[in-house]
Amino acid sequence: MQPVQTRNGTSRIARNGPDPIIVDGLSKTYRVTDREGGFGAAVRSFFKRKYRDVKAVQNVSFRIGSGEIVGFLGPNGAGKTTTLKMLSGLLYPTGGSANVLSHTPWERRADYLRSITLVMGQRNRLSWDIPAADSFLLNQAIYRIGDADYKRTFDELNELLELAAIIRKPVRNLSLGERMKCELAAALLHRPQVLFLDEPTIGLDIGAQVRIRSFLKEYNRRSGATILLTSHYMADVTALCERIIIIHHGQLKYDGKLADLSRRIAPYKLIAVRLGDCIDCDLSRYGTVVEVAAEYGADGANGDGGKQLVQVKADEVAAVTARILADLPVSDLTIEDPPIEDVIERAFHE
Amino acid sequence: MHIYKLLTTFLKVNIQQDLAYRADAIVNMALSLMWLGWELTSLSIIFSNTETLGGWGPSELIALLGVWRLVNVVMATIVWPNTEKFNNGVRDGSLDYTFLQPANSQLLISITRIVVWRAWDLLLALTLIVAGITSSGGITTPLNVIAFLGLTISGVAIIYSLWIVLISFTFWFTKFDNNVTIMQALMDAGRYPAQVYPVWLRAIVTFIIPIAVATTVPLQALRGDLQWWQILGFLVIGVGAFIISARIWKAGVRRYSGASS
Amino acid sequence: MLAIYKHLWQVNWAEQWQYRANLIMYLFYWLVSPIVYLAVWTTVATAQGSVNGLTAQDFVAYYMVLLIVNIATSEITIHILGYRIMDGTLSNLLVLPVHPVLTQVLVNNLAFKALQLIALAPIWAVLYVLFQPVLTITLVNVLLAIPALALGFLFSFFIGATITFIAFWTTRVWAIAEFYFAVFQLFAGQFVPLSLLPPVLHNIAEALPFRLVLYFPVQLILGKLTVQESMLNLGLLAVWCVAGYALFSVVWRGGVKKFSAVGA
Repeated sequence: MQPVQTRNGTSRIARNGPDPIIVDGLSKTYRVTDREGGFGAAVRSFFKRKYRDVKAVQNVSFRIGSGEIVGFLGPNGAGKTTTLKMLSGLLYPTGGSANVLSHTPWERRADYLRSITLVMGQRNRLSWDIPAADSFLLNQAIYRIGDADYKRTFDELNELLELAAIIRKPVRNLSLGERMKCELAAALLHRPQVLFLDEPTIGLDIGAQVRIRSFLKEYNRRSGATILLTSHYMADVTALCERIIIIHHGQLKYDGKLADLSRRIAPYKLIAVRLGDCIDCDLSRYGTVVEVAAEYGADGANGDGGKQLVQVKADEVAAVTARILADLPVSDLTIEDPPIEDVIERAFHE
Repeated sequence: MHIYKLLTTFLKVNIQQDLAYRADAIVNMALSLMWLGWELTSLSIIFSNTETLGGWGPSELIALLGVWRLVNVVMATIVWPNTEKFNNGVRDGSLDYTFLQPANSQLLISITRIVVWRAWDLLLALTLIVAGITSSGGITTPLNVIAFLGLTISGVAIIYSLWIVLISFTFWFTKFDNNVTIMQALMDAGRYPAQVYPVWLRAIVTFIIPIAVATTVPLQALRGDLQWWQILGFLVIGVGAFIISARIWKAGVRRYSGASS
Repeated sequence: MLAIYKHLWQVNWAEQWQYRANLIMYLFYWLVSPIVYLAVWTTVATAQGSVNGLTAQDFVAYYMVLLIVNIATSEITIHILGYRIMDGTLSNLLVLPVHPVLTQVLVNNLAFKALQLIALAPIWAVLYVLFQPVLTITLVNVLLAIPALALGFLFSFFIGATITFIAFWTTRVWAIAEFYFAVFQLFAGQFVPLSLLPPVLHNIAEALPFRLVLYFPVQLILGKLTVQESMLNLGLLAVWCVAGYALFSVVWRGGVKKFSAVGA
């Protein structure tokens, strides 16, 4: 599915095409060597190895529509990378099926590989010793990109990522943020329609994270590419993804809108209260006191104007707020959504 | 055609890279000359004590040394440096990116790194071969020379295939990443005619790690020692080895992606 | 301190067993060249009766003993440490409260060596049957060979480590290491008994310490040296070890300083 091109060069997202990613009952079980420590065990394993099965991904199903950006979340070892590797054709599943752009990924057909990309934040695609520009040329040859297409794509990426200044230096001399820009550019030169991004912002400073994020958003808007992304930084997720998929221990825990997750998993709100002069005010009558805002110190609760957070069921917010305002010398009161990290953390363990 | 485009692009990038590391190239060229000096010295030590070594004269051994060095050029230009790249790729996971690329993965891992200045060694090797053949006193015929060339190419193909098989093993055995040193070690055995070795060693260098097939055999053809059916047989083996190694590589890649096991 | 070595030994020893395939490959590396030269020289010696006074039997004995001495004195420091210096993971070792090279790297070398010697034993036995060397080994020679091999290993360990440290300054360390190994092998007697070298090369070999690592222990074990000659060579080797250690220490300190300055 080519994104529909409009006259001014930007593209409109073709939302009503067939879903580019369809995953059905996908499973992957690894066989690993089991070995205890110590010399005796080492000798034993020399002759006979023990194996153990690890279920990395179990019966995961989802669909992703054209042009969507979906956050793929889960704690370390949840099976995110394994899933991405299966979808990009690097790993065979032990069960289930996947259909990406009408291909079975692990058949690894050349025209499939030409229409996707995988970026792993912790691994280098670019050759360490040579400038990124040379690696780009290699990719041009490998992906058979015509000179005109190459120039057009490069110019576009250059405009978004400001590559010109950095691609002439050997990659080993680049900063982490610069390297990531080049990695992304190298991964996108062939204009993939589906992007698998595994921790694309890992290790970057806040500024670089923001730049990568806004690049991805803009790239998605212009090209209509479908993006499945994992990240441990919630800012990535909230900035980019309307929809998230959560897996834990290889199993799918949630698939839906990010906004709905808070409502479902954490049907509560936080009432932040700043009290005026008050010696013996006890907020625990109204709900669970979850946190004392750190900037006021641990004893801020009884001090002058410390902020306290009270966790209250969503449907009781109005009533409880009214009671607090009536009972206590409130100097400031706001109602907040629970932090997304907490919500997702809860979702993992539900 | 696409292979040609890939090759030239890789070559261009590698030339740029090697130009950046001049010092490295110069040290290695000097080293290569030093080894050549030592190899010729050891030949002179041997032939100061004997007329023939296993029936081979000095000029034939010089030609053999040339062929042996020719095989080594292939090793040093492609095999060793790409092994290093490959092992690093396995270690840090960047090998995944190779498999994501829409081109033959065996080709990609074979030509990612090309040590361009090894052309110098190629020159030395060819000089030795020509010197050896011309000084041997015209016992050879044009037909023998053609057979010699064909067998050299097929011998190199066999060694290359063996390398592909060995690095494919990395997919089955973890921490097997120094397996290629087995070839490096056995390379030494190609420096002298296999007839010198005891039977069991001759069997190893002919059948198991067939370095003798790439060195001694072409020289035998040059001397006119081989029948036409033997020459044909070795050529067939070269093609067969190439095909089989490609199969094993594919199986290894399948294993890597968990398709088998 | 001893407890550290004991623990390191356990870890490294267990680790080496896991890398079984690797081990066989290295072993091959040590086996091939001596066997090739054994074959070449016995062919020559058989045809001519003797080469420079060495009979075919002498060559067989020389290379068979060389196989053991080779592994006993070998060191693989550059393979353990080289890439760690270059990619910066040496930091993990530098935070240890002990000298990482004299503990972790040294013990790793020794564990590797011990396992290789175990693996060599059956192969050597087979080669013994195949080549039938005539070895007359005396107790005195064996007793003298033990310190000779130990000091030979220490010396090559110090030099090998020093060469590896060049990686602190340049990534081109492999080319330099290869040059070193070439010189070492040539002048240590890896390819031919040093008495067969042309006079010029022979003189160079005599002046360099490398012959003490291979050629001397082999000659010692074969009973070609008097006790006096052996003691003299042992003393000389000990002096070279001290010099090697001094060089090792100086270069290490400089290298670590460089490493810390770059903040790799």
